[in-house]
Amino acid sequence: MKRGLALYATAVYVFLHVPLLILAVFSFNASRFTVWRGFTLYWYQAAAADRELVESAMNSLIIAVGSTVLATVIGTLGAYGLWKRGSNWLAGSLYLSLVTPEIVTGVSLLAFFQWVFRFLDLRLGMHTVILAHVAFSVAYVVVVVMARLRTFDPALEEAALDLGATEWVAFRKVTLPHLAPAVAAAAMLAFTISIDDYVITSLVAGVDSQTLPMAIYALARRGVNPMLNAVSTVVIVALGAIVLFSERLRSA
Amino acid sequence: MNRRVFLMSVAGAAGCGGGVPRLNVYNWSDYVAPDTIPGFEGEFRVRVHYGTYESIPEMLAKVMSGNSGWDVVFPSAEYVRPMREMGLVAPLRHDWLPNLQALDAAFQHPSWDPDLRWSVPYMHGTTGIAYQRSLAPQPRAWSDLWDERLRGRITMLDDPPEVLGACLKKLGYSLNSGDPNELRRAKQEAIAQKRLLRAYLNAEVRDQLVAGDVGAAQAWAVTAAQAIAAARGELAFVLPAEGFARFADNMAILRESRRSELAHHFIDYLLRPEVAAKIVQATRTATANGAAHKLLPPEIRENPVLYPPPEVLAGGEWFAPQSAASQSLRDRLWTEIKSA
Amino acid sequence: MKPLRSLFLAPAAALMIVTIAVPLAIICFYSLLTRGAYGGVERPWTTENYRLLFDPLYGAIFLRSFWIAAVATALCLVLGFPLALFIARSGSRKNLYLSLVILPFWTSFLIRTYAWMFLLRDTGLINTGLQAAGLIHTPLPMLYNDGAVILGLVYGYLPFTVLPLYATLERLDKSLLEAAADLGSPPWNTLFRVMLPLCAPGIRAGAILVFVPCLGTYLTSDLLGGSKTILIGNLVQNQFTAARDWPFGAAASLTLMAVAMALLFAVRRQGEELL
Repeated sequence: MKRGLALYATAVYVFLHVPLLILAVFSFNASRFTVWRGFTLYWYQAAAADRELVESAMNSLIIAVGSTVLATVIGTLGAYGLWKRGSNWLAGSLYLSLVTPEIVTGVSLLAFFQWVFRFLDLRLGMHTVILAHVAFSVAYVVVVVMARLRTFDPALEEAALDLGATEWVAFRKVTLPHLAPAVAAAAMLAFTISIDDYVITSLVAGVDSQTLPMAIYALARRGVNPMLNAVSTVVIVALGAIVLFSERLRSA
Repeated sequence: MNRRVFLMSVAGAAGCGGGVPRLNVYNWSDYVAPDTIPGFEGEFRVRVHYGTYESIPEMLAKVMSGNSGWDVVFPSAEYVRPMREMGLVAPLRHDWLPNLQALDAAFQHPSWDPDLRWSVPYMHGTTGIAYQRSLAPQPRAWSDLWDERLRGRITMLDDPPEVLGACLKKLGYSLNSGDPNELRRAKQEAIAQKRLLRAYLNAEVRDQLVAGDVGAAQAWAVTAAQAIAAARGELAFVLPAEGFARFADNMAILRESRRSELAHHFIDYLLRPEVAAKIVQATRTATANGAAHKLLPPEIRENPVLYPPPEVLAGGEWFAPQSAASQSLRDRLWTEIKSA
Repeated sequence: MKPLRSLFLAPAAALMIVTIAVPLAIICFYSLLTRGAYGGVERPWTTENYRLLFDPLYGAIFLRSFWIAAVATALCLVLGFPLALFIARSGSRKNLYLSLVILPFWTSFLIRTYAWMFLLRDTGLINTGLQAAGLIHTPLPMLYNDGAVILGLVYGYLPFTVLPLYATLERLDKSLLEAAADLGSPPWNTLFRVMLPLCAPGIRAGAILVFVPCLGTYLTSDLLGGSKTILIGNLVQNQFTAARDWPFGAAASLTLMAVAMALLFAVRRQGEELL
């Protein structure tokens, strides 16, 4: 039974990882087709030379960093508040944002923004995308930080208060350090979610806020393209590094 | 408008506003040459943000809000009047478009915009069947795309007017029919074809034709020409005997654009014969620019796929705007086709 | 003191109001309005959009989306359980094996979908390999059908079942399994009558985590399905973009959400916390 399980597990791991490896391998193929014609870096050069592609990568990074910072701060504070005081309707709406299908979140935000724009002279752009990303990331941050908060002994905070600290100081010096790994993990989570999002972003992005997933989708729709393999490989390696780093942090 | 004065004012604006002026252009994919945009940017000292789309509904969805941020778009002929009625496009100033005379005579007064007040024809083409030469017999009509022997290797365009149009033509009706009975029969044809159909694909079918995955595809002449050029004699293109669609993509400036003058300069730049000629050579498209056409090398100028002789073109029909009722019915029929 | 705690909740609350509550309210309103001549919304108020959803055409779309989501979920559970069992029993290497499951998941969903486009094409690796090995003569049509969509969904969401199943399996009381064995239960019997029921919370969590996103999927059916079928996700997206029928799209979105909510409510058990 143990042997069978191990064999099965290997098969599943192969299933999970091999497609990505193949994608990466063929990004070095000197031919557009699935016949190996020699090693080349041409597709990587072509990708780097594509101005719109590079610009969308930059936009994705800016959006991801911005929304991660906001989501982590709001989420951590929110989780702490929920833990101490509880609020059924806030917990409920966070849960709602977690289970709402992406497409529904996207169209509702689009409708909302267009309605607001009737009164303010604004248009879709980086700010709408960042706001949207914060909206759907916050719930994930709360979940991760909450899980950690449940392992925290409230007596420690009480002790600090008894010793004369204010609530804010108690939070900062006693609770927060304990939460630090979870906050870091939540930030990584928010970052990867933001970098990867397509559906919601495509609906609320403006002319100047094309993101990397949108560029990838546009290329993917036109069919198989080794330049896309190159871009994919870069993204896989970058995100993989972040995940491994985050795992290190968590087990530290 | 004097170019020098314009450049100086641009420089002045750049100096005050900070940053290089930008122009946002939204076009079909693969419709300019690699040096077209950089050439414009260099000459006018601006930055162009160039976005692409794969279908008009995709473009309209973004542009309809009236505050999308795009300046220049490329609507197909049958969308010019509706866009005008929606208040989306701005009237053109011909005094800012000196190269208008470069247009081919056939496109100086097109039926969808006789005075060229709102649009300037850019590229035109036909919809036909692109296929592998190795097929026997070779496709000659729309009905050949319902052939059992091609099961799994047929594609149609992911475009409701085109698919319904092909079905209508197969049944002998007009491309632009608004008759509910005719349209419903066309829908039945499309549903009957689905079990033989590989996928609904637009320009992305090109790579699959070249790779040999697809045997016969409903395709735009442009896509077919690009595929034929890439496939070294294995592919061919035919305009079906029952009739076919003609289309023309036009340049237009959105009413919301705050850079109307720069947008005009961009359109005028694309009208320059040498620029237009280079675009055709890079992208294998059929230009509406008569002066550019004369500059092309013979193998492109006389390419029967891109520039069919007039007697063949006579069998084609232009797409026309639909009434609201007809459009609603067509939308619904398309949903039925897709979910069948 | 109370004010500080409320202050902590304030940013999150404000965010939720602005980005969840108000937009959903707007969508509710839109679903009761009429489509404008060229798009947009306008009076009169009407329930026509909901009535339209009862049309068999859209019922068929919902059913088809259900079916695909259900199959994908079932496959994820069936395929994920043995793997979760393996990881739970792997002793010191647990974290490594878990990381290996999580790693592909964190790389872009879009890219993973594209990877299957690359592999399943007629001239893709699988077909070329099979033909080279002489096993087939003409390419197998593996792309652009429901099977490809389900494969893409399973590939994308498998980790969502592995993780909760692993969590429950890890906390499983081994003594219960030993007791069953002592009482003479053969291994398969123990599996089905003892282990699986004890894993019910993990199974429920995994099922929900996979089913709801699959129900609303849009990307996978678009790229791997060849645009031949419409699922709910495509329908909604289409109404808000190409078809420009926001009221109908709003009605469809809310119905999708109602279905998801109903499912979640149905599998909730007493005592399980929300977050």
